[in-house]
Amino acid sequence: MADTLTVSEITKLIKKDLEENFSSLSIVGELSNFKAHSSGHWYFTLKDSDAQISCTMWRGVNNYVFFSPHDGMKVIIIGRITVYPPRGNYQIEVRAMQPAGVGELQLAFEQLKEKLQREGLFNTENKKEIPELPMKIGIVTSIGGAALRDMISVAERRFPLVEISIASCAVQGIGAAKSVADAIHQLNKQNDVEVIIVARGGGSLEDLWAFNEEIVAYAIHKSKIPVVTGIGHEVDFTIADFVADYRAATPTAAMEILTPEKVEIENLIRDLDDDITEKMYNIFSDIKEQIYSALRSYGFRTPVDMLKLYNQKVDSAVYRLNQMIEKYLSNQKNETTLLTTKLSAYDVQKTLAKGFVLVKQEDKFVTRAKKFQIAQPHTLIFYDNKIQINKNYEEKK
Amino acid sequence: MKKKNSQSTFKNDLKRLEEISTLLDDSELDLEESISLYEEGIQLSKKCLEALSTAELKVNELKAKIDLNNDEDSLN
Repeated sequence: MADTLTVSEITKLIKKDLEENFSSLSIVGELSNFKAHSSGHWYFTLKDSDAQISCTMWRGVNNYVFFSPHDGMKVIIIGRITVYPPRGNYQIEVRAMQPAGVGELQLAFEQLKEKLQREGLFNTENKKEIPELPMKIGIVTSIGGAALRDMISVAERRFPLVEISIASCAVQGIGAAKSVADAIHQLNKQNDVEVIIVARGGGSLEDLWAFNEEIVAYAIHKSKIPVVTGIGHEVDFTIADFVADYRAATPTAAMEILTPEKVEIENLIRDLDDDITEKMYNIFSDIKEQIYSALRSYGFRTPVDMLKLYNQKVDSAVYRLNQMIEKYLSNQKNETTLLTTKLSAYDVQKTLAKGFVLVKQEDKFVTRAKKFQIAQPHTLIFYDNKIQINKNYEEKK
Repeated sequence: MKKKNSQSTFKNDLKRLEEISTLLDDSELDLEESISLYEEGIQLSKKCLEALSTAELKVNELKAKIDLNNDEDSLN
């Protein structure tokens, strides 16, 4: 025969057994007898057709529940069993609660959306600007997810100069929301991250739920670094999308808007390269012309040594420039040169089309008023045609 | 080390190249200045193109804070 125990002793054993074995539970059920006590604690019963269990949710913990629980609502709770010896009963101490079922989720979504809208979290004037060419991108997502792999391969293909910092988090289940928020905070502590992508691959409304929670919305709102979301598929809209500074339809779309195509950047650099070469040519011919015109006008009055100095300057400049341009051109492919000519011709045509006119005299463009010799023949080049003006001829007439 | 430098200065180099293009429009510039700007620009464009063609994506993971609750809370 077993030893005789006191009530206290057996209760103590039961308490130990239950609390040890049911320390981490996830339970789905229907809410009933829901009471929010004035102390801030919540008391309710969770039931299904055949059983019920008492629950408590303490003030401070229930702050994180963003929807309004009510009787009849289906919920999932996370908690542990506790035994209360004075009454000899057991209950669940609830640590987290989320709506279960699509209807409940939809309702909670609408409630939170309305609340955050009132608080101004979706206002466009609060949205931060997305940097144009970010060199360091932070990513908040699950380390093992397909979304991350996709984003990395997009970055690799488009703009491998970018650096990626991953703050891994859970993207699904109760607790995922806090994990996402923590990851956003964590990236905000890195001083060189220029933009953050919050991403998750496609899934059901339940799968994407973490991104519909208040804690994530506030984390995005408070982020000093601009946030781009790429959550689920094109049709999925989450609360996080509404708060984000920019919403991309998918994780890959998010990475695409933040990284230029490599070819685009290369073209930009080549265009700049061509542009400065063309400008250098123009500067050179400008200066040459200035000096020639100086020689023409004041030739007899300019002391000979001044002239020599000028000539020497011109010679050495011409020499250096020619050398440099030779060097530059030989380094470039032929196609690039062709492209330059085409592009610059196109630019001139564009300018002319706007109504500008080019003046040509003695086979040279007149770029400054002081160089224009009104009495000499000149040509006006319009977009559609050239007009030759021959002063001498008119005077004779 | 060299790679790291080129990565972090790429954006600055590109900005400087754009700036040089604007500076070369300045008619007050003398020839010597123009030439040295031009030389700098050509160097920069070469450097940028090279950085692009040799770049390899850098990916790192931040160490997560130890938070036991997160694991416990997961529904999966």
